[in-house]
Amino acid sequence: MNIILIAMVIALLIPIYTAWHDEGIWQKMLALASISIKASIMILVISVLRDDWMLGVAGVISLSVGNASLMLLAHIMKRLREQQL
Amino acid sequence: MNDLYLPVIVALLPLVACMLVAQRNPYHALVIRGVLGAVATLVYALLGAADVALTEALVGTMLAITLYAIAVRSSLVLHLGVLKDESSGIEHFQERLKDIFSQWHLRLELTLYSDASELHQALIHKEVHLTCIRSKSTENERQVYHARTRISRIYDILRKELSGPEVTVTRVTVPTSGKKPS
Repeated sequence: MNIILIAMVIALLIPIYTAWHDEGIWQKMLALASISIKASIMILVISVLRDDWMLGVAGVISLSVGNASLMLLAHIMKRLREQQL
Repeated sequence: MNDLYLPVIVALLPLVACMLVAQRNPYHALVIRGVLGAVATLVYALLGAADVALTEALVGTMLAITLYAIAVRSSLVLHLGVLKDESSGIEHFQERLKDIFSQWHLRLELTLYSDASELHQALIHKEVHLTCIRSKSTENERQVYHARTRISRIYDILRKELSGPEVTVTRVTVPTSGKKPS
């Protein structure tokens, strides 16, 4: 099971590199979406591994909140771009 | 708790924090703050603190970046005061100003005034940061823009970026509203 989690960490490093390297704001937003979903899935995997339901609930809530915050931020960014143009 | 993956995941947190500190654009920094929130949630959950992870996900990721996005959007703005009848002929100069201040991530916002004295009063009373008046040069009938500001940093930026005979930049010293030093 350790190998699966190490592989997930390596998969998490790819969008972190994208967020650091790419200049565009929307590329960074895509990287944020990817990282937030991957982190939540990792929490869920760990909760199953440890048989801890409390962690599972935290993982599910962080999954939904990550998506909600992404939508809010994307909406504000879109409004801002429209004003600047 | 002595799992192999634990130090690898915990090492992500300082990595993302260094990325956040290295950002220059405030909006990019906000997005990286969201990434930091997600990674922090993962680390807290991994170390067994589900309640702290939940708080980080709700407050750190969602509330903080939304509130900061609104704060950055409303604070990084430069108010430009122009006359009402000149507002249509000033677009070329306005585009130049927009280009200059976009390097500093500032947004330009236009405020219209009916006459020149009202414009000057607005500058003195700190309603606008910069005023712009257009006039015709007497020698060769060219458009001349007079930009006046009361902020020394904006004056320095404009002096550096706007060079040429068609633009004059002046700095207005405004008396401080506080008590005079005696």
